[in-house]
Amino acid sequence: MLLTTSSFDPVRLLLKLSDFEPISRRNFMKRVWISLVIALSATIFMMWQGGAFAEKPKDMAQAATKVEQKSDATPNAAASPTILIDKTSLSNGGTITVTGTAPAGKPVYIEVWSDDNVRVSRFDADVDKETGKRPYILYMTEQMPAYYKIFMPKDKKEALDGIKKEGKNWSVSKALKDLGADIAYSIPAKIKIERYQATLMGSIIGSRGDLLPQMDEKESRKRSMQLIKARFRSPDKVLSADVEVNPDGTYKATIKIREGLAPGNYSIAAVVDKGVKSQPVSFENKISFPNIYLSNAGTSLNLFWPFLLSLAISIFGVLMGAGGGFILNPLLVSIWPLPHTVVAGTVMPTVLFSQGSGIYNYSKIKFINWKLGITIGLGMLLGGFIGPKLTELITLDQYKFVFGWILVILAGLMLWQTTPSYLDKNKKEQAILKEFRRRAEETIKAKGK
Amino acid sequence: MIVEFWGHEFKVNIIFGVIGGFLIAIVSSMFGFGGGPFMTPLMAVGLGLPMYLVVGSSLLAIFFNTLMGTMRHYQFGNFDLAFFLIMFPAAILGGFIAPQIAKRVSPIVVKRVAVAGLLILALNLLGLY
Repeated sequence: MLLTTSSFDPVRLLLKLSDFEPISRRNFMKRVWISLVIALSATIFMMWQGGAFAEKPKDMAQAATKVEQKSDATPNAAASPTILIDKTSLSNGGTITVTGTAPAGKPVYIEVWSDDNVRVSRFDADVDKETGKRPYILYMTEQMPAYYKIFMPKDKKEALDGIKKEGKNWSVSKALKDLGADIAYSIPAKIKIERYQATLMGSIIGSRGDLLPQMDEKESRKRSMQLIKARFRSPDKVLSADVEVNPDGTYKATIKIREGLAPGNYSIAAVVDKGVKSQPVSFENKISFPNIYLSNAGTSLNLFWPFLLSLAISIFGVLMGAGGGFILNPLLVSIWPLPHTVVAGTVMPTVLFSQGSGIYNYSKIKFINWKLGITIGLGMLLGGFIGPKLTELITLDQYKFVFGWILVILAGLMLWQTTPSYLDKNKKEQAILKEFRRRAEETIKAKGK
Repeated sequence: MIVEFWGHEFKVNIIFGVIGGFLIAIVSSMFGFGGGPFMTPLMAVGLGLPMYLVVGSSLLAIFFNTLMGTMRHYQFGNFDLAFFLIMFPAAILGGFIAPQIAKRVSPIVVKRVAVAGLLILALNLLGLY
């Protein structure tokens, strides 16, 4: 049976199903059954997920209408703006028209956030300007809204374009201040952020470090902005200039909710000044099959695309003799807004099964040296203990950068394997391998009889 | 360490092997790929072992890394079940389809294509194009 894992050499291609009938047929059936069970459970899971979402909207719509009435009933209380939305339900994104009245002459900001939360972390290893030391503090929250965006008056468009031009080094706090949007920034400022003092020793034993005391409000607000950047990456994901404000104080905005967001309840509030805002109104974003929501990544996507991508790459991975993870991981983080921690943590277990069955097949023909494998395996066990901890200490950009160099090395290794001298050596090795396999099979057959 | 395999004995510099495996495991579990393509040259070239010994034993060593890495990623909350359920059947299915294609293509051609593909992807990741 051929292995889907990361063993490296074309010699694996020799270990084919047809070479080894009795064991592989049994294995084949076993695999078919296991795949069926998995496919079935996956389908049930999707259906259950879809069904659970389908029940909610009715209640949500009612709740939303109530809120709307409430905000209409108290117009201009403390000069707070009113807000009305034309829809209470969206299906995987769409546009919503927001209208209302604000005190004349005031800019209107619209804050939109999802009830669904995701986890975000950021490791602060930048040199502190005041003390000149690197703090090495890990900031982490479980309460970052999966979707968050501030819509600003249309006249901010130019300023926003300037911020977009800054590229990767943009700063959320500077952008909010420059655009005057910091008055609208309220929901993420209140999230609970935990911070850990990382130490070298702690990282080695895989601890996040000591939990530091709670930050004060101002510090927490500042750190939440850095986490916003870690989560949403680019300015156009959190900022947009779409609100049309008329001189008489009425405003209108067409808000585009993009595809691939979290399902569930979203809230909208209009803000004119610090603390002067409308009651939030809410709408429901529905996700239905074949779109599914990845709760840990905070992204929903059409499940066929990642399925086809991983299928194509796992086939190619087997053919080239390197695990699919090398190509799959960088593609996944580039194509979808998936955090690199989730990608690394989810791709890794997919090869567990094929590695396990590979070891089983090799052990049947006594092709594993347990002493050597386990000794080196213990070293790798220790490395595997440390590695996942380090994933959350790097940013997505660092992840991509280092991955780029890993791929350069891998390409070099593969190129070396196509050189004539290597092929020549490999030919001899393959002949020996074949001979060993023949002997191994004969031993098994003899035992079987 | 002396390793015995099918009646042959091999002398292995095990300290080099374990340290190399340890470093490869850190990087591979950190970035979430299998360490095979680095582990096999380490054992074949670094430790001077023949390929027929390396294929099975390196897989066993890597399995330790994958198992521990999976557990640790799960512990840190990096595992997404729905995402896993999408990709896992695809990986299994790929394992069935690939051998059928492998009969018809030359591994050297595949490798050369892979080298070009990997370089393009690498340049993209490094932000050079």
